[in-house]
Amino acid sequence: MKLRKLAAGSLVFCMVAGAMASSAFADEIVINYPTFQVGANTSAPAIAELVNRFNEEYAGQYRIEVEEVPGDENYADKITVQIASSETLPPVVYGAGQKLLDLALQADAVKDISEAVDADPDWAAMYTESWEEVNCRDGKKYASSMESEMIGYFYNKELFEQAGIDGPAATWDEFFEDLDKLKEAGITPLAMDTADGAWCTQLLVGAYLASTEEGMEFLKTKYPTDYNNEAMINAMAKAQELYQNYTTLDAVGGAYENAANNFFSGNVAIICNGPWMISDFSDESKTEAGFADKVGAAAYPDSFVYDAPIEGMFVTKQDDPALEEAAVAMVQFFTSNEAQAVALDLSGMVPASSAVEITDEILEKYPLLGEFLSQASACENRASTLTGNMVPGLEDIWDNELPNLASGASTPEDFCQVLTDFAAANPAQ
Amino acid sequence: MRKKEIPWIILFLLPTCAVFLLIFAVPLCMVIGGSFFNYRLMPKTFSFNGIGNYIQLFTQDKNFWLIFRNTLVWIVIHCVFHVALGTLLAFVLYKKPRGWKFVRVVYMIPNIISQSAIAMIFLNMYNPQYGVLNSILKAVGLEKLQHNWLFEMGTAFPAVTMTWFLFAGYTTTLVLAQCLSLDEGIIEAAKIDGASSLQIDRLVVFPLAKDMIRTTVIMAATYMLQLFSMIYLTSGGGPGSTTTNLPLYLYTTMKSTNYGYANTIGVVIIVVGMVTMFLINRVFHTREE
Amino acid sequence: MKRAKLSPGERAVRIFGYILMILAVIVALYPILWVILSSFKTNKEILSSGLSLPEHFSLDGYKQALEMAPIFQFFATSLMISVTATVLNVLFLSMSGYIFAKKRFRGKNILFWILSLSMVIPTTALLSPVFTVISKMGLYDTKAALIIVYIALSMPVSLMILRSTFSAIPDELEEAARMDGAGFLKNFFLVMIPCAKGGMASAAVLAFLESWNEFTFALILTSSVSTRTLPLSLSYFTAQFSFNYTALFAAITIAVIPSIVIFAFFQEQVNQSLVAGSVKG
Repeated sequence: MKLRKLAAGSLVFCMVAGAMASSAFADEIVINYPTFQVGANTSAPAIAELVNRFNEEYAGQYRIEVEEVPGDENYADKITVQIASSETLPPVVYGAGQKLLDLALQADAVKDISEAVDADPDWAAMYTESWEEVNCRDGKKYASSMESEMIGYFYNKELFEQAGIDGPAATWDEFFEDLDKLKEAGITPLAMDTADGAWCTQLLVGAYLASTEEGMEFLKTKYPTDYNNEAMINAMAKAQELYQNYTTLDAVGGAYENAANNFFSGNVAIICNGPWMISDFSDESKTEAGFADKVGAAAYPDSFVYDAPIEGMFVTKQDDPALEEAAVAMVQFFTSNEAQAVALDLSGMVPASSAVEITDEILEKYPLLGEFLSQASACENRASTLTGNMVPGLEDIWDNELPNLASGASTPEDFCQVLTDFAAANPAQ
Repeated sequence: MRKKEIPWIILFLLPTCAVFLLIFAVPLCMVIGGSFFNYRLMPKTFSFNGIGNYIQLFTQDKNFWLIFRNTLVWIVIHCVFHVALGTLLAFVLYKKPRGWKFVRVVYMIPNIISQSAIAMIFLNMYNPQYGVLNSILKAVGLEKLQHNWLFEMGTAFPAVTMTWFLFAGYTTTLVLAQCLSLDEGIIEAAKIDGASSLQIDRLVVFPLAKDMIRTTVIMAATYMLQLFSMIYLTSGGGPGSTTTNLPLYLYTTMKSTNYGYANTIGVVIIVVGMVTMFLINRVFHTREE
Repeated sequence: MKRAKLSPGERAVRIFGYILMILAVIVALYPILWVILSSFKTNKEILSSGLSLPEHFSLDGYKQALEMAPIFQFFATSLMISVTATVLNVLFLSMSGYIFAKKRFRGKNILFWILSLSMVIPTTALLSPVFTVISKMGLYDTKAALIIVYIALSMPVSLMILRSTFSAIPDELEEAARMDGAGFLKNFFLVMIPCAKGGMASAAVLAFLESWNEFTFALILTSSVSTRTLPLSLSYFTAQFSFNYTALFAAITIAVIPSIVIFAFFQEQVNQSLVAGSVKG
């Protein structure tokens, strides 16, 4: 009882304090926006700038108040708890790579923004086929992307030269020959990992999957429940071979950080990762001066590149229609072509909208990005990532089974069976 | 019981009970109740399932018994050896040898540092490429014994165990405080009677510190029933399920949004906890007689 | 008093004691040394070596840590929340621990077992219900929310410790006080509490550390910078594909040093209270 009173007392205090704070701008609607794009996150400068611009443009009408939730997983955990408790979500949620849109949709918490999108021709034009896959459900537009996940790999030109390799391989046969050449020259070819979703490894596995028709179809499946197919088994068999012969000792058990460090240190010649990594190549706390000049960027063999809009921002249902309107305005602002140009300029974020021009200025500022984008644009095959399509929770199983695959304690068939068992028991749809 | 004390007794228990009701009672009911439902966030499902979750857990879940066994083994190791280590050090320190205050403070430090930092330290120490452990083995010519400690079937379990086993600061602190509060007169008297220091420890100090040792054993057991972040941050519970315990299994099940099943695991944890506490009390009780 | 010569057995015991102490110090110093050294290393050095000295000592990590995250503000909030939660926790649990240790009433054992359940409920299972309760009370994003939760999280351990502590106090003391005409409150505050100081200090230390290091509830229950606590600041330095370990370890060092000082201080308090207690007794 005592505690309840205490609680009630401080509640009154909070309400009074809140009322006093908001009375200064009586008509201004405040959007509380929790975001993980702060701190060490490479997008932090772009988001901060966009928040400022929005608050300037809508001064007196809307105002964004940023709530910093550092750490991608922390952000997803927090939103998930709010969904599980059926509490009102923040007005704008960024789905990112965390499957939050589907989760929120299941809770019937997402507002359909089709009307607002269709009223703005520029905005409506963004919704291409790949956008619809990511941001729409049942023909309704729910989310809007601000960034594209475009991923190839980086290689160390100096090490390639030492092994007598001219440039990135065009076919997978060539790619594996190059790995052998590197090995013969005494160079560890690949950066791989098993922890935190085995990011670098899963990119390689997915790209290899994409080289066959069956594999490509599988790669494009959202929330697959059956991993027992020939393409997947072959790809995992390849991964096993690579773990055993073509990577560093600490690949098994290592996370992205360890893989990246091996690349920064010149221990390995190749790492699969996206363009957000580029700024790190000239970060002297991570690598030696001049390292950036040694790095080349490439798309995957057989004309493949990861290319899909990242699940975008969505508006959640609120009691106050005016707040929903404000939230729609924010999503429109943050995913506009102008905003995506700003994000590209400040943080090197690859725009999700094809209408955003990659100017010469940008190419000069991020030469490696230009090199990569020109190769990517020539690619014929595109898909999103393998782990990005997994049912929730499967990534943990994937992490824990990879060391067994790597050591040979389990076969590729066993491995795929374990994934299938879990996915079939926990279908997301 | 004195009648006029009753209001005082109620008043003194009230804050504790209020906090319990507010924070623990609701979740407790939700865990137990939820375990009988098929409840997921994705795809959204909520339907009564009877004891279906329990049947699945006990009879169909391939990993459950391994995970259950891991949990029990860790509880036993922690309650027996870990507490013994901490108690032993407390019995050394209460005699106030030179430097005892320094040791008392320093030994607690690993329990003060955040778990994620400790996890990173062990990942670094066990790293197969440059980790201290493998470097030492190499330096003394035992390269054959080098392992990828946290990620090989054979070594993962002991390697994970070591991430908390040696850090018995809580036990030492508590038992030491209890030992120090003993009347020094009793010990002096025993010395004059010609008792050796081991005899004094065993016959005088231990019985008086026993209640606190029981407390630390129960704390150790419940610690092992709560612990998952250290495992999650080091081995992740793998390879396979080799280093998964019940709390970690609960956590990952919740991540797959299977809340009904997670609650079932929660009930198992609660039952294991209650049984363990009962047994610990029993062991200490029979020793008393 | 003349010191008796040590027998070989006694000597062995003493040597064993010193060996154990030395090992304990090594085991305990390794992590803190590693953390402090890492706060001066570059990211590359942290990820490529074990326990080694940094090539250059630089304070960049500390500078970056303070720039990237509002560490000092979080620090102040943490201190305020942890101290309040600890004081209330120890007060409440001393009260109930005393009752459970010294009083008899119907249903005592059942009540104790029910309260003990709090020890075995998995914290993960608490998250979403507690979030609901706190939101319904209108306490979301307040310091009060975290204080209540931290009182609760340390409740099981404090209850165990304080009940043991009060049980260990001889009943005769209470009897004597009653003979002198002391009432219930006077007896508790003037007779019992002074004798229980050691146990209370131990409970306080554990409760403080629990509150000081708690991460998940702080993340879930707060949203504004003014209610955030120190453990959350550590997440600023490791994003999914970007990391600054130097700053991370600098932040950990900043977070851990005060805890160590507070712990050392409390231990000294335990000492003094015990010495004072035995003089009285």
